[in-house]
Amino acid sequence: MVRNSDAFGSLHPVVVFGYFVLVVGVSVVFLHPLILTVSFVGALAYAFYLVRWAGLRKLLPGLMLLMVIAALFNPVFNHRGVTTLFYWEDNPITLEAVVYGWVAALMVGSVLLWFVSYNQVMTSDKFLCVFGHVVPALSLTFAMVLRFVPRYLAQAKRIAAAQRGIGRDVASGNWYARARHGAAVLSIMLTWALENAVDTSDSMLARGYGLPGRSAYNDFRWRERDLMGALALGGGLLVVIVASVAGVLRAEYFPAIELNPAVPLAWLVIGVWALVCFAPLLLGLKEEVTWRSFRSNS
Amino acid sequence: MALIQVEQLSFAFPNTEQDVLHAVSFELAAGEFALLIGQSGCGKTTLLKHLKTALTPYGTRSGAVRFDGRPLGEVPQAEQARRIGFVLQNPDNQIVTDKVWHELAFGLESLGTPSDVIRRRVAEMASFFGIGDWYHRNVDTLSGGQKQLLNLAAVMTMQPDLLLLDEPTAQLDPIAAVDFLAATKRINDEIGTTVLVTEHRLETAFPLADRVLTLNDGRLVADEPPRTVGLALVHESDPMVAALPAAVRLSLALDAPDSVRTSPECAVAPPRPAECPVSIREGRAYLARKLDHAHLIAEPGHRLGFPESKDVENAVKARSATEVGDADGAEPIISARDLWFRYSRGDDDVLRGVDLTVRQGEFACLVGGNGSGKTTTLRVLSGLHKPYRGKVRLLGLDPTKAKGMELTRAGLAVLPQDPQTLFMRNTIGDDLDDVATTHFPEKEERAAMVASAAAAAEITELLERHPYDVSGGEQQRAALALALLTRPKLLLLDEPTKGMDAFFKAKLAGVLRRLIDQGLSILMVSHDVEFAAEHASRCLLFFDGVVVTEGVPREFFSGNSFYTTAANRMSRGLVSGAITVSDLVERIQALPAECTSPESVPATQRDAGEPVPEPASQKPETTTGAAS
Repeated sequence: MVRNSDAFGSLHPVVVFGYFVLVVGVSVVFLHPLILTVSFVGALAYAFYLVRWAGLRKLLPGLMLLMVIAALFNPVFNHRGVTTLFYWEDNPITLEAVVYGWVAALMVGSVLLWFVSYNQVMTSDKFLCVFGHVVPALSLTFAMVLRFVPRYLAQAKRIAAAQRGIGRDVASGNWYARARHGAAVLSIMLTWALENAVDTSDSMLARGYGLPGRSAYNDFRWRERDLMGALALGGGLLVVIVASVAGVLRAEYFPAIELNPAVPLAWLVIGVWALVCFAPLLLGLKEEVTWRSFRSNS
Repeated sequence: MALIQVEQLSFAFPNTEQDVLHAVSFELAAGEFALLIGQSGCGKTTLLKHLKTALTPYGTRSGAVRFDGRPLGEVPQAEQARRIGFVLQNPDNQIVTDKVWHELAFGLESLGTPSDVIRRRVAEMASFFGIGDWYHRNVDTLSGGQKQLLNLAAVMTMQPDLLLLDEPTAQLDPIAAVDFLAATKRINDEIGTTVLVTEHRLETAFPLADRVLTLNDGRLVADEPPRTVGLALVHESDPMVAALPAAVRLSLALDAPDSVRTSPECAVAPPRPAECPVSIREGRAYLARKLDHAHLIAEPGHRLGFPESKDVENAVKARSATEVGDADGAEPIISARDLWFRYSRGDDDVLRGVDLTVRQGEFACLVGGNGSGKTTTLRVLSGLHKPYRGKVRLLGLDPTKAKGMELTRAGLAVLPQDPQTLFMRNTIGDDLDDVATTHFPEKEERAAMVASAAAAAEITELLERHPYDVSGGEQQRAALALALLTRPKLLLLDEPTKGMDAFFKAKLAGVLRRLIDQGLSILMVSHDVEFAAEHASRCLLFFDGVVVTEGVPREFFSGNSFYTTAANRMSRGLVSGAITVSDLVERIQALPAECTSPESVPATQRDAGEPVPEPASQKPETTTGAAS
């Protein structure tokens, strides 16, 4: 079952969007095995929490395949690194390249899993809310695309079904007949769209579209909770930036693997990062515990 | 002061000689609810669009439009956008964004309203219209009626003073249409917004209106309250008389001086304006007074009316034996037994055991509420969907097994609800040629077929036009011509009268009737009870996925008490078995003339709201005469 509302998703879209930018950004920028492992597990756990097994079942095989390909390709084509494991077709396969391959695979996997959650949480209206402030015209264009593309597709289907009713089968015949019908459907769709656009533009003009000083409304309110979320987010970002500037999260793979979690500070940073990655899940679980206690009290 | 004043407004589109509007003058006072009626193409939409500069078409114009005392052209665009709301006919085309809440905010966004004000206005309007439940939904999950209510609410968030509605219910089913008009009336009553609406559903709109403006060919021929506009139109011999509500038509036919009466002595003075009934309730009271005066409803056993259902049944049997050719045991053209269907495994059943038979030469009409499964039935019958249980035989084939164009070759033609989906070329003639090519390889034969199909559908003069440039009623007939090119034996029609005015309906009915006479069979799905009552040979009521009841229209509709024609609701318990206004007029005019003269009825009694029959002192012999 797919969740319609979870605690994290009910935060203000700006916070939610900022969160995804942060986790995906850090995962891409820091090719650090521990950072990526935490990110991967966090992303997997949250995605599982949102879409459950039923939602992940179709995605996981593809994801695994992609990760395995990423992990295997690197050592095959990348021969840098000092520790040669064995030779394959006269080419050295190095430990460094194998590890780097797996790190890259973790990076790909975690980014994709974050996008699974992103799709669940950041619905189109939230996306519009984020960008409506920046470019109001773009946000309206986006909303109109979301409205009209499905409409046009549905109309194309209706046309094909209707044509069958009077013996014009647009989906059969040789390739020439089909191409001819396809072109005809496309042309009439264009006419239909233009015809309807006249109404749409009348409706927009009638409601004052084109007047100067258009504002962008969104249905989301900035609450105290959102401020807390934003502050926490900012805190996490700050820690990561400071850590990277201080070189605490340095990871070198070539010519030899050289990680830097040896200092206690690095473990602290990893801890903060884990908190960031698991925050949406923890928020959701906390809310569920609250609900459970409500139910047992009543 | 008048909110809007139109003075001697004339208008012609560029490069045309003829005026679309000709010297139209009227005023609307603040708070009025005015109805604008007229045949399709009489200039209603053009007139409405002149009341808002942003929508005013290009062309040559004279005369003036004033809004709130100023010439409309001098009212700033922002003020017009806010104070003059406009809702168009097609619910889908007007919606701009993908979310309900965003659509509600659209107008206020254009005006640059700050977010907290928008939030408040949107909340107010969503509550007023009961939109709360679907506030967060995607607009494409809404029904047609909800979409049109959304369009109205999206305009109302700007708090307009004037609301212009251009055939807002034409694409809606009857229940959604009534809801929409009721919402409009509520805005008028509770917020005081001035309303000017063009409508074809006069049965619903008439009782709501304060004034009825009638356009004929660009001229304003009548501007009267609903109770007197009928008489004015009769004086003008305006074609709109035929489209007026049943109660108005009844009183006009019986009382209007110009109406044809059987006995000349009965020519009476025109009724006082207050007496013309406009609603079903008033029509009942009016009818009761007529009959009460003739001492006809006092005795239950001798009701004025049509033969009881027994006689009707016999008549049907006789007819089916002769006309339908049932006696020779021929296979019905459609026979469906116990059809069950659902769209996907987890869904609810849409069809729950449909049994249905259509015989050769019948005009069967499937009526019923929205979402009851009527259109799905058509799709299953035509092989578009497969039932998971049950059997269909159609033209001797099993539609679930028919391949490619086998059904078309066997004589099945299906017309969809939206005729626009059938056209693919730049002229109607090209489209006809194109379809003809697939069915008739010989060139001479093709031309002859196109000509005869166009003639049969009465669109010969439209062949050079673009299919999108002709009116909805003409599109429907052009679609019919396309279907006729397949030389069908059976025609399946889905809501062919949707959005049509009374004249296009009459024309379509004529076309269909001729086709039936030539041996075609028709199964039509429709919300249009009046059309079915007048023209179908058999009606079937669809409810909850099954055919609940069926019969010839007279028997069928007089057996229903709510889902029936206006004339039948008006005459229920007074005249048995009357389902059209002409039925009623025919019965009442068959009465002895002196009995129905309104002068002999005391005025006080005439104004009584409810029909209270007085016990008759005598039983006139004429009763039995009238009932036979």
